[in-house]
Amino acid sequence: MISVPVPLGEVLAIAAEFERGGRLEEAARLIAHARGVAPEQPDLLHLAGIVAFRQKRPEEALALLEGAIAGSPDNALFHRNICEVYRLAGRLGDALAAGQRAVSLAPGDALALQNLAIIQYEHLDIAGSVASARRALALDPASPGAHFELAEALLLRGEMAEGWEEYEWRYRIAGAPQLMPPSDKPQWDGAAMGDGTVLLIADQGFGDVIQFARYIPWARERCSRVAIACSVEVAPLLRQIAPGVPIFQAWRECPAFAAYCPLSGLPRLHGTRVESIPAPVPYLRARPERVAAWRARLDALVPAGFRRIGVVWAGRPTHNNDRNRSTTLARFAPLARLASTALISLQKGEAAEQAGRFFGRAPLINLGAEIVDYDDTMAILDVLDLLVTVDTSVGHLAGAMGRPACVLLPHAPDWRWLLGRADSPWYPSLRLLRQDDRRDFGPLIAGLAAELA
Amino acid sequence: MSQDACACGSGLRAARCCAIDRASIPRAETTQHLIPVVERALAAHRAGDTATAERLCLDVLELAPDRPGALSVLYEIRRAQGNLRAAEALLRRVVALDPNNFSATNELVLALLAKGDLAEGEVHARNAVRIAPENPQAHNLMGMIMTEAQRPAVGEYHYRRTLELAGHRDAILLANLAWCLKNQGRMAESRALYEESVAAAPEIRQTLLGWARMEEADRNFDAAMAILDRLAVVAPEDPNVDLTRAIVLGRMRRYDAAVALLDSLASRFEGGRLGPNELLEKGRLLDQMGRHDEAFTAFLEGKTLARDLSGNAYLDEQAAVMVARLRGFFTAERLRTLPRAGVRTDVPQPVFILGFPRSGTTLVEQTLSAHSRIAAGDELPLIHDITGIMPRMLASPMPYPEALAELWMGDRREGLDDLRDWYLQKVRHMGVLRPGADFFTDKMPLNETHLGLIALLFPGAPLIHVIRHPLDIMVSAMSNHFTHGLYCASALETAARHYVRVMELVGHYRSQMALRYLPLRYEDMVEDQEATVRAALDFVGVEFEPQCLRFHENRRYARTASYAQVSERLYDRSKFRHLKYLRHLAPVIPVLRPLIEQLGYEVPAA
Repeated sequence: MISVPVPLGEVLAIAAEFERGGRLEEAARLIAHARGVAPEQPDLLHLAGIVAFRQKRPEEALALLEGAIAGSPDNALFHRNICEVYRLAGRLGDALAAGQRAVSLAPGDALALQNLAIIQYEHLDIAGSVASARRALALDPASPGAHFELAEALLLRGEMAEGWEEYEWRYRIAGAPQLMPPSDKPQWDGAAMGDGTVLLIADQGFGDVIQFARYIPWARERCSRVAIACSVEVAPLLRQIAPGVPIFQAWRECPAFAAYCPLSGLPRLHGTRVESIPAPVPYLRARPERVAAWRARLDALVPAGFRRIGVVWAGRPTHNNDRNRSTTLARFAPLARLASTALISLQKGEAAEQAGRFFGRAPLINLGAEIVDYDDTMAILDVLDLLVTVDTSVGHLAGAMGRPACVLLPHAPDWRWLLGRADSPWYPSLRLLRQDDRRDFGPLIAGLAAELA
Repeated sequence: MSQDACACGSGLRAARCCAIDRASIPRAETTQHLIPVVERALAAHRAGDTATAERLCLDVLELAPDRPGALSVLYEIRRAQGNLRAAEALLRRVVALDPNNFSATNELVLALLAKGDLAEGEVHARNAVRIAPENPQAHNLMGMIMTEAQRPAVGEYHYRRTLELAGHRDAILLANLAWCLKNQGRMAESRALYEESVAAAPEIRQTLLGWARMEEADRNFDAAMAILDRLAVVAPEDPNVDLTRAIVLGRMRRYDAAVALLDSLASRFEGGRLGPNELLEKGRLLDQMGRHDEAFTAFLEGKTLARDLSGNAYLDEQAAVMVARLRGFFTAERLRTLPRAGVRTDVPQPVFILGFPRSGTTLVEQTLSAHSRIAAGDELPLIHDITGIMPRMLASPMPYPEALAELWMGDRREGLDDLRDWYLQKVRHMGVLRPGADFFTDKMPLNETHLGLIALLFPGAPLIHVIRHPLDIMVSAMSNHFTHGLYCASALETAARHYVRVMELVGHYRSQMALRYLPLRYEDMVEDQEATVRAALDFVGVEFEPQCLRFHENRRYARTASYAQVSERLYDRSKFRHLKYLRHLAPVIPVLRPLIEQLGYEVPAA
């Protein structure tokens, strides 16, 4: 490369522009060029670290960012950014220290406070997380990220009145998937509707849909006309809970509506508090013909008299907390040591491949490969003795069906599982097994296996 | 010899031998003038002038490569020279030229039998019966092939037919039948036939040798030794006598004497060194004596020699293609569209004991078949056979596994039921079933290659996969000859390669379909026998029976190389035996490391 005598500041500015515009290759090339001249320049190292992180090279990113901090230890921005990279790399102690350092160096930086709130949540320092989020909002009252972080912390503590309100900011976060195409219609406020149709949108993940679908009958009591927009996967579930309600899988097929509401917005309208969570379990049921078919299949595959324990070890990998909530099938080995027990895998997706590499002592029946839809999953849940799952939609399904299940939760769980308790007011048949600060599912599964032995 | 001499060693050019272009062969009528030359070659050969006979044959075949007379004489010469590869190649051409040539077909079957290529041997043996259905030798060939191909009940039929057609009780035929019965574990009947055979012809080497092996298998070591003493008088120079004696001594744990005997044998072999079987036996004895470096050297030497003599090396490319096609076909998406065979409730059900050769499948079968409700099927070749007959049975233009696509046709939906019934009918014909048994085992090693097909045919059948430390399997694979797995065990590296291929394929099947699959660890059988046996019986669905723990008292004779071990009490000598051979196993440790870890075993430090 020909050396062009451009001032470093200008090179940095251009590279940063490329980085912001997502032109990462060009940014990386420019940074490499500049580092040929100034290899240890902290701003360059920092930007190189950000680019490496965005190019999914976290180890390299951390090395570069740590180099930047070594060269400029009091730069708050560097600490703020490395906090998030540490967090995503699972180095939570380092992330917390970086977050705190960033805030101490720049107490007026709302983003630094928001990052700190996130990492405090992960450390289950919920009071700290709430305080940081409130400080961030005091500096920047319209920060969707800070509002959302506050919502999660409050809801986890069971403070639902304020929590639901803050939760409404979730669709304003930069990069959040849009709920629906632009519309001039208002969001439903929960008041009784006359002739106008309320469009309910099955938003967020499948677990959320299963959890919040319980509010559909409540909404129907207030609206004479309801329509539901949802993905094809959850349509059979929603048909069960909302018989006769028009259900659509494509926006172009949606009828005219007077107002809309995401399903995840219904608890706020309902005024749900921990003590008033509606749990009309079971509100989902397996189809008898599917149950008969799967029962016959399992009778052929599982030796007579064997206990049937369903297992799910991973959720959707794109979930923002998948790193913490998912584990590996190998961690279920203690259950595979139980006598006269068969493990029944309901795992779907890429993680299902682990079934082929598992050599525990109990037979593992990989039904995941044969499950087509949630009707299959429900039918299988109906004929299992127990489900042991990480925090996935299958756990929600078992809960909605009133089937016995143990849900393995990360140290800092999703807000819906609340704090400390082993039961769930959302799903009475579920038992919650929570990681301690070792953040390891192993002891939880070993303990459960000991109980079942 | 010219540059393009055929690799088979026939002495012909490749273009006139194994790489012949059919279009280049002159029409028979244009080479009539060479017939007198062929006759001269024949005469020279009869007169013992091999050099002249060979030269004349080579000359004729260069000009007229399809002259069967010249091919036959050259075959005789190469066979007499011990050049078995060339002999086989020449014989194949004779049979191909004249499929009704009984004599050549007979020779070819015997050659294939000696080489251990039973699958092709069976094809030609069946043809021999077609050519000459009333010929006792045709049935004798079928008897031999079927006996060695683990179908002794079919073999017994043909031997008895041979006796009937021969019209008298030929001593050698009686001995053949005795061997067949020994392979069915019918030792008393076998002994009676050996006694009858020897009474009629007291000095036949193979008979006495077979009888000694029968007594050894029946744990009558003194009787075996006495027969060998008798044989030594008849055939003092026959190395098999001392080889068998060494085997018996080994089973009597007189290792020093056994090794000394083998060493003394070497001088009697060509080149002053032992043959492949003797080398492996010596290695096994040295292993028992703790002389591990010498043992592995003997193993490798034996494997190399076997490979050189037989020409059987791992069919690497064929294995890669097979695995790729199976992986490509058996996917969850496709499997959802395929029917499964129904479960027959009117006949005993199979229990598949899967595993790499030398992983402990014989031990597990011997254990399970000690149960009153489980009969031993041994290594049933039927799943492999089904892969061959499937295109015909399903009327598919494609081979297996693609032939399964026919199941999508309205008139082929029950094709799997037909294949299942074919399997069950063959099992009945093979004499596997016994009264009171609701189950029978099929422990054909590497049946796991066809796990997907098995699960389609028998969706509820227990699949017990015997798992063992991969490096222990490698040691055992080096210390025994077997042809399973496309000759993978002809070298250490290829055994490891095939093991990895098959285990990855098993992982693929398990990730793509629901299987009634239980991994059962050989090491658990050793460490906690009762719990492991109980778990296995539980998995099959039968009550625990204490005699399963005393499998060594199961008088059923296991026909495979493991029979000597499974007739002893459970011992842990073979557990983590690889630790003694780390230096020798070093080349395959990197290849096997991921699987060793996946299976939960320790990867030994370098």
